Amino acid sequence: MFESTSHEHNLLARASLDQCVKCTICETQCPVMAVTPAFSGPKFVGPQAERYRHGESVDHSLDYCSSCGTCTLVCPQGVKIAELNSVARAAMKKDHMPLRDQLISRTIMMGAVMRPVAPIANAVLANGAARWMIEKVVGVHRKAAMPTAHTRTFASWWKKHTPAQSATAGKVVFFHGCAGQYFEVETSIKAVEVLEHLGYEVVVPPQGCCGLPLQSNGIFDTARGYVKTLAERLNIADDVPIITAAGSCAGMLKHEAHEIMGVDDPAVLRVGGRTREISEFLLDLADRGKLPLDFSPINLEVVYHVPCQVKGQGMGKPALELLRLIPGLTVVDSDATCCGIAGTYGLKKEKYDVGQAVGKPLFDKVRDVNPKLAVCDTETCRWQIAAATGAKVVHPVWLLHQAYGLS
Amino acid sequence: MTDTIIVGAGLSGLSAAIRLAQAGAKVTLFTFGLGGIQLGQGTIDVLGYSLAGSRPTPADTAITDPFAAMSQHLTGHPGHPYATVPLASIRDSVDWLAALVPDLLTPGDGVNHMVPTALGGLRPTYLIQPSMTWSNPSSIAVVSPRQIKDFYPRLAAANLTKTAHVDAHGYHIDLPARPGEVDSSPVAYATALDRSDFARRFVELVANAIADEEVIGLPAILGLHPDTAESIARALGRPVVEFLLPPPSVPGMRLNVALTQRAKDLGVRVVIGSKVTGFTSAGAKVTGVVVAQAGRDQTYPCDHVVYAPGGFESGALTMDSYGGVRETLFDLPVVGATAEDLITGDYWADQRLFACGVAVDSAMTPLDVLGQPIYTNLHAVGGLLAGAVRWTEKSGDGIAITSAVRAADAIVSPGVTPTTNERTR
Repeated sequence: MFESTSHEHNLLARASLDQCVKCTICETQCPVMAVTPAFSGPKFVGPQAERYRHGESVDHSLDYCSSCGTCTLVCPQGVKIAELNSVARAAMKKDHMPLRDQLISRTIMMGAVMRPVAPIANAVLANGAARWMIEKVVGVHRKAAMPTAHTRTFASWWKKHTPAQSATAGKVVFFHGCAGQYFEVETSIKAVEVLEHLGYEVVVPPQGCCGLPLQSNGIFDTARGYVKTLAERLNIADDVPIITAAGSCAGMLKHEAHEIMGVDDPAVLRVGGRTREISEFLLDLADRGKLPLDFSPINLEVVYHVPCQVKGQGMGKPALELLRLIPGLTVVDSDATCCGIAGTYGLKKEKYDVGQAVGKPLFDKVRDVNPKLAVCDTETCRWQIAAATGAKVVHPVWLLHQAYGLS
Repeated sequence: MTDTIIVGAGLSGLSAAIRLAQAGAKVTLFTFGLGGIQLGQGTIDVLGYSLAGSRPTPADTAITDPFAAMSQHLTGHPGHPYATVPLASIRDSVDWLAALVPDLLTPGDGVNHMVPTALGGLRPTYLIQPSMTWSNPSSIAVVSPRQIKDFYPRLAAANLTKTAHVDAHGYHIDLPARPGEVDSSPVAYATALDRSDFARRFVELVANAIADEEVIGLPAILGLHPDTAESIARALGRPVVEFLLPPPSVPGMRLNVALTQRAKDLGVRVVIGSKVTGFTSAGAKVTGVVVAQAGRDQTYPCDHVVYAPGGFESGALTMDSYGGVRETLFDLPVVGATAEDLITGDYWADQRLFACGVAVDSAMTPLDVLGQPIYTNLHAVGGLLAGAVRWTEKSGDGIAITSAVRAADAIVSPGVTPTTNERTR
């Protein structure tokens, strides 16, 4: 496959275009189309408009697609609708990429800049006047959810960490992702502690960004470099599973690098085939009768929301099934299509209202079921739900960690 | 370890999943994309026409009592899916499905309803949603927003005058589903009508547009929520009937949501977005299915498989450029594919290609060319089964439900499956 953003080279997705039978299932499920007429819908800008694209965009409402991937997921004919649209958008934005999109897609840079001055960074992001300035100058909506910076990184914890018990179950590589390094440090620590509790020897090779935020903003060239470098670092041996608590980054390694950006790099494909979101990995153990189920009860009712990029991996809702094994815990499936953040989409000042409208049914359900705590697998979705509802939103591994008596 | 794997989330796949889960089985359902229920009309057909000839049939040849007509129909259609099951089980199965969603489907009373179509025809079906009740009115006002796609109230009214001998008048109202939209989809209207402010505005405009007709006909956009249609009818103060539209079908979406929710509530694991591309077997048993997930193939072990993938429309059946018809996952033998003239140039003729499919026994176990089961724990249901051209008979829903129920019951209680009343294979 060609690594290009030109439409002629978008072979994988284009090959699926003729399979569209115009059934409109994608349009009935698109969360953006449901809340704004600004987006003319996945079928229209996807398989239909694609026929008229010869290096030039024919429908600029494409920019309102959030890349949640729901259209591809629900298509019964296998049309790669979201992938077509992601490539078309990258081509459309190529020569005039907004500075804002350049900035917000560099998670490591944000984390590295914010960490040494975490209290100041957090104060600035909580300051209304500062946020107004940021909205005017950069284009990030003043109310959009921002990560909380920490002075401690996962790497600094890992350096001083020794496992509580010796390993008996074999080796796994832990892929923490950028957010798991800088912003969601606690989630990474709990994931490692659960894996070690289950007897795994956890290995953490040095690692960088998977390139997903760049990819979803259409900055493909840089993103391809990122994902290849990451794959080389994670690819320590052919038989070692790669476990992550960063569900959307797992999707990047498993299929998006290949299907959206045309990456055919052998290390990326090999690493993608071995990558497991931690709930997926643990549920597979449970299904084979190999997961200890000696959970302490957690007497709670919580909403669980599966992120679009976890759903897009076509494995159902492993965390939902897994959490239902914890006694006392009532897990309510959000049954919501999308939380509205879609990576960085809902941060943008012109899309913030769309994102909030997309997420409204989910927010209402969280407020209704348990306004204090909700569960979701990916970082930006957690930040979005937390900002909208005031609930604390945690990765499923937090509850497993507690149920195993580790917290 | 899962007990049963279902492949497909259309009417037959969901029916089998629900029936099995009700009996306590552990069920995982894989579906490549959303199931096909919302591409149908949210009604349940059992048998609408028993076509002797090959021409389109006017409404007065529609079958009134599908169960009474069944026996004779099957005599003229050897190898029909209904012929593999006891006749009584057809009505039992359809009644069972109706009871799953009592808020949505009116209970069956043994006779077909006639429902109005987008073009102003009437077609027979067995179970309807309450909003589709056709009461043979003497006069009807057919009203629609000018901005909706694919519905023309004056055309529908003019045709109804001829097909149903009713005094029908068509009226337009001006009400985009969202400000500025000139071609709103039925789903956009349904979402808007679920909001009371928009519904009030809609009711006001409809009431102002019409004369004193007995009944009001509206396009099938009256809410995704099952209660919306009734509250609109109440506000209008006259009986309302929904006219069925081409997809996206709002009543079909109501049914799909209700049945999918029912399956999930019963603990069915629904996995959407990955195609089942292969299987593992040992002797005459399927031991697992291979699912092409993101990045890799994953094998899911199982005790039983209910295969509910649909027919040609989903790609479960394909025809190559030499006219060879194949079933694509298990390579099951396809019955009827060697006949001459599978498709003819006469649109209205009996297109036998669409009766091609898999032959099964009374437990829905696929049979080889000698009539012997191929895999004893594999059950094929729904649109894949050979022997019926469903759209001309209006029989697809009943076949899907009945075959799914038979398969599920055979899995739950092996050996007690009654023998078929008519072995035709």
